[in-house]
This record gives sequence, C-alpha cells and structure tokens, in this order.
Amino acid sequence: MRTIWLASYPKSGNTWLRMLIANLSAKDGKPVDINDLPERGGIASARGPFDHLLLIDSGLLTHDEIDCLRPRVYEGLARGAEDDEYDRVEAPPPVRFVKVHDAYTLTPSGEPLLAGAHGADAAIVLVRDPRDVAPSLANHNRIGIDEAIAFMADKNAAFCGKPDRQYNQLRQQLPGWSGHAASWLEQKDIAVHLLRYEDLQADTAGTLRAALAFAGRPASEDGIERAVTFADFTQLREQERDKGFREGPRPRLGVNFFRRGEAGAWRDELSTEQVARIEAAHGPMMRRLGYELATADALARAG
Amino acid sequence: MPSYRVAGLAVASEIELPGAIAAVQAGAPDIMVRSGRVPTALDHASARGATWEIAGDRFLFRVPGVARFLLGGGREIVFEDAPGAEAADIAVFLVGTVLGILLHQRGRIVLHASAVRVNGKAVLFCGPSGAGKSTLAAALAQRGLPLVTDDFCAVSISGDGAVLVQPDGRNLKLWAQAIHRLDLAERRGARVRDRIEKFFVEPAAVYSEPLPMGTVYALREARPPHKAGIERPNVVDAALILRRSAYRPLLVNRMGQEADYFRAATAIANAAGIFHLTRALNFESMPEVVAQLERHWLDVGLAERAA
Repeated sequence: MRTIWLASYPKSGNTWLRMLIANLSAKDGKPVDINDLPERGGIASARGPFDHLLLIDSGLLTHDEIDCLRPRVYEGLARGAEDDEYDRVEAPPPVRFVKVHDAYTLTPSGEPLLAGAHGADAAIVLVRDPRDVAPSLANHNRIGIDEAIAFMADKNAAFCGKPDRQYNQLRQQLPGWSGHAASWLEQKDIAVHLLRYEDLQADTAGTLRAALAFAGRPASEDGIERAVTFADFTQLREQERDKGFREGPRPRLGVNFFRRGEAGAWRDELSTEQVARIEAAHGPMMRRLGYELATADALARAG
Repeated sequence: MPSYRVAGLAVASEIELPGAIAAVQAGAPDIMVRSGRVPTALDHASARGATWEIAGDRFLFRVPGVARFLLGGGREIVFEDAPGAEAADIAVFLVGTVLGILLHQRGRIVLHASAVRVNGKAVLFCGPSGAGKSTLAAALAQRGLPLVTDDFCAVSISGDGAVLVQPDGRNLKLWAQAIHRLDLAERRGARVRDRIEKFFVEPAAVYSEPLPMGTVYALREARPPHKAGIERPNVVDAALILRRSAYRPLLVNRMGQEADYFRAATAIANAAGIFHLTRALNFESMPEVVAQLERHWLDVGLAERAA
C-alpha cells in the first residue's frame, strides 16, 4: 500500500481533490456523500490515531512533545497499523491519500514531523493563488480579510496551537503561505507533484489524471469523467447547503466551507491595498508558482 | 509509603500520585509502584508499538522525556525516569495512563470515561481524549453532583449481571480555558505538569465507594450529519460504542480481551442504558446540555420528579 500526502495550505482545494478521488469509486451512479469522506486517515493532524497507537494521552503533552512523537504515528500508519480496532479495512486501497495542512517541518528532535520517506511515498502539493486563499480563509476562520492576510504572512502561525486548551486536532504549523509552500517544495525526503488549484479548475480531468498517475492510483477514463461530474464545485456546495458538512467550520450562521471556489475572485474581493500587501509578502513564491503579480510595486520587489 | 485505592485495588507507591484516591492500607498492596531499572526493550515481545511492547506478563511503556515503565503481571510498576524528568511528570502518567494499562493487563473492564453520581448511581461520559469528558463532569459537579471519576472507569460485572463502577480520582484535570469559562478559578489547584496549562480542579464533592452503573453516554460532537440531542442507538451499535470506549482499545485487541469486552458490553447495555449525547463542542451550549441531561434522567427514571 502506498501512502500519498495531499499537502496544502488551508483553503487551497484539498477537500475538493479528496472528493474527486473519493468519487472515482462512486457507486450506484450517485455522488459520494460529502459526509462520507473517510474520516480515518482523513487528516494527518487528527488526534485519535496518536493516542490510539502510542497509548499516550496527548492531552498531557505539550505541542512540541507531541511533535517529537508524531513521526512514530505516521511510520506506523504507513506500515498498515489500524487506527480503529472495530472498523478494520478489509481491502485496503492501493493508495492511501492523507490530507495534511502541516508545513513540512522538523521536530524539536530534528527529524521530519511527517516521518520523511517512512511516513509516505510521495506528496501531491496543492497550491492556490494567495489572493484567493485570503478571502476564503477569512470566511473559514470568521476573521477579517486583513487578519487573514496577516496570518498568511506570520512565520509563527499555526492552527490548533494555543497552549490553554485541547483541540480535536494536533497543532499544525503554518509558517506563512510562502513558508508553507517552500517547506514542501524544498524538502528532499519524498517526491513531489505540484498541483495548482487554478489548473484543477481549468482542466479538472487532465489535472486529476496527471495527479493520479503520479500517485500510482489506477483510474479509468470513465471513472475520472464521473468523478469530475460528481465532485463539481456546485454539487459540493449544494450538498453542504442541503445537509451540512461535518468538516466545515463549526456551525454558525452564514459560514460555509464550500464558498465560491472560483479562481481570480480576489479581483472583486480584495482592495488594491490588500492585493499589494499579499504580493509584497509573497511575491517571490507567487512568481515561482506562476501567479502573475498585479502591483508594479510588488513586481519590483520580487524582481 | 503513600497508599491509594485505584479501581478498588490497594496501591502502594514510592512517589506521590496526585489525583488518586488516598487510602489507609491494611495488609499487602495489590499493586506496588517503585523506581528501579527498566530495560529499553523486551526480549521475545509478542506485540509492540512505537512506545510499548508486550512479552508474556510484562508490559514496557515508554513516555519519551518522562520515564520508562515496566508493568509486571498486573501487580508491579517499576519506573525509570528520563534525564531531567520531574516526579510530578512521572506521577501524572502513572495515574493517567500507566495504571489504566495495568488494569487492562489485569484483565479488568476499564472504560475511557468520566462519571458523576446521580441518585446513588454512576452516570458515565465516554469518549476519546478531547471529547469533553472532564469538562462535562466539571459542569455537573458545579450542579452539586459528586465526582466519581475523571479519566478511566473500572467496571465489575457480577454473576447475576449487576454492573458496579469503581470510583477513581479526587480531582478533575482541566485546561486553563475550561477553568476560566466554567468560572472554576477558586477551585483550581496545582498544574498537572509544569509545562502544560492544565490544572487539577477540586470538585465540591467526590464519591469514593463502589456504586451501580446508571446511564452511559457516548460523547459526540454535533456536526453534520449528527444533530444535537440524546438518542438511543440500536443494540448492536450500543455494544460497539462500549467496546470502542475501552480505555485503550488497542490493548483489548493485543491482549486478546475482545470476548471479555463483548460480554461486558452486553451486560452494561442490559443493566444500564447506553445513549449518544451529541452536542456542540463549546462552552455556550453547556447550560443547555446540563438541562437536557437532567430532563433525561427524569425520563429514564434515574431521577425523580419533584412532587
């Protein structure tokens, strides 16, 4: 069984890609229920497998102590350890895709948090224009766009990182949008397939086909075609509207997980000043990933 | 030597075990906790994980940076501290995790649950770490219900199917945020460990004698498709919920105790109701959850309606 990380900064299409993959095996001519995405092996930062496999109560450890032990969890899971004794997978899929938002970092003891080549065979790194990430992140976290922009520029930012409470996920270090992308693209432990959200949108079938080929996940043309139809963004949004999405933001009025899903919507969502700030912070990485800068200022700095 | 009662067993320990129920010991202890040399690995291990190994009746458990623990035959725990580890760190893992594993080793039925006493019976809240067991127990303790246990809950089933709960723990362990949001600052005690913002909190009342099991609630977060409320799962699901609620389900499997837990699940399902308690995982909803539970106890006959 191969393990492939689906690595992305939050709000960059990770769930969409997972829905596409899940719909390759859609049954009865119906789209996979968005609430039936496998929870197990769902996200690398889930707390359950840590406590389950190590027997240690993560609620008694600091974030750093947990990080030191996380590689052991990913090694175990990659070798086929079960994270649920009562729901064993009968026929494991040929490829195990695991969502991960953590940056590719080293633990305080100096080894890769995600266990390098022992934790996965390769990674599909999914990136999205940071100007589109910012409004989406603001919506997801119920914060202002300016705050989201500041979060995306903060090298010490994290999800689930406060020390005074226990989250249902482990801390995920998100050292800025650029830092996150760089961490994955520059690590040398495992092979990377770079996938841009915008390309997935422009040519869903082709981009998905290339990603699956990289991952070694066999898929028929029929299957890909069906997945593209079933995991169409409008489809996903309708499902969320009708029955809610368990992975979405905690219930609060007017906040959806599947928001616009458009590429380039930033043009009517961000002020010129906000665009300039994002481009000033992330110009070099944006250019590296093929996102054209809109402000001359930022261009000059990135040049 | 400090003496305690854990799951109804007499424990003598070379180091203090904050949070465990202190007890005067008469006669030899059932379990001895002492410091000593602990190997880094066991020969002829029949099962192992990254932090643990089983070889015969010996169980090795490693908490990096804290200590190695060797559990022998369910009767003895030897610990060897890691360089720089503090006694308080070792104690919290002893009380929180190692004794729980030892109960598995003894073949006991032990659930991952908090519990309070309601009209003479134990009401359990099961769930994995982070499910909100302690926070809910704290909120109910604020309503005057004595705390029965905070983390693990040993259960004895007699020949006639009666289910008894062994109380454990005089304290709750709560994060700073929960203490603040539940307005429990006055009851806050020492930090559980120096380096984490989790504190012992002394409830207004504790109950330390064995008591019959009342109701079991499996905690679940209200996220689609699960809506907030209390519902009774079907018999098959109820038994599965209980087996999943073992303190360490992995050990039930590796120690070959599935049949025991399956039987226990059936007995518990018969003797006490098993329900899903689904609620929003936030503090705002807590008063509503408590009120809902109080109504439910009337409905299931655990509490009596005021005349």
